[in-house]
Amino acid sequence: MLMEPRSLYRSRWFMPVFSSILGLLILGAFVAADDLGTGIAGLGMMVAVGFVFLIGGRRSETLAGLGGPGRDERWEMIDTRATAFAGTVLIAALIACWLWDIAGGGDGSPYGQLMAITGFAYIAGIALLRWRG
Amino acid sequence: MRNEIRELRGRNGLSQAQLGEAMGVSRQTIIAIETERYTPSLPLAMALARYFELPVEEVFHADGTA
Repeated sequence: MLMEPRSLYRSRWFMPVFSSILGLLILGAFVAADDLGTGIAGLGMMVAVGFVFLIGGRRSETLAGLGGPGRDERWEMIDTRATAFAGTVLIAALIACWLWDIAGGGDGSPYGQLMAITGFAYIAGIALLRWRG
Repeated sequence: MRNEIRELRGRNGLSQAQLGEAMGVSRQTIIAIETERYTPSLPLAMALARYFELPVEEVFHADGTA
């Protein structure tokens, strides 16, 4: 059976909508903490980021790929590798912070717990992806 | 992976954007394939070969030879 290349189209409005929703959640969190000003600033920043992707995506492949409409199988590969790189950096930072906290007399929280979550997520991901083929 | 995409595209009078649109990928992905910076997936490689009505092994050369 001959397969068609997978279509990975995503609307150019994906990133503005996603970042606006995230901004609203930030606003909600700051409102709950009685800090409306910082919440509005956070919402404004996230809406601005969304529109940078919307407008900049017309000129920049990087922004188009990050924002949504420019994604195809090559971008999926780039995205996977970039995510793995960011995860590696995050794990290294967690280990460094955990050791730093322990050396300072702390109990390593919350870095130890975050490392445990990361480890379990990795093992679960391996098991799931292996099962899926 | 060495391939004949640039030559085949030129022979058919297609722009990179037109070929990308026909394949459902971006112009930059066609550029990356032509310059051998990106090896396409098997479905995309087969779709490209089918588009030019050639066997896939005549379009892509896994051993690096013409």
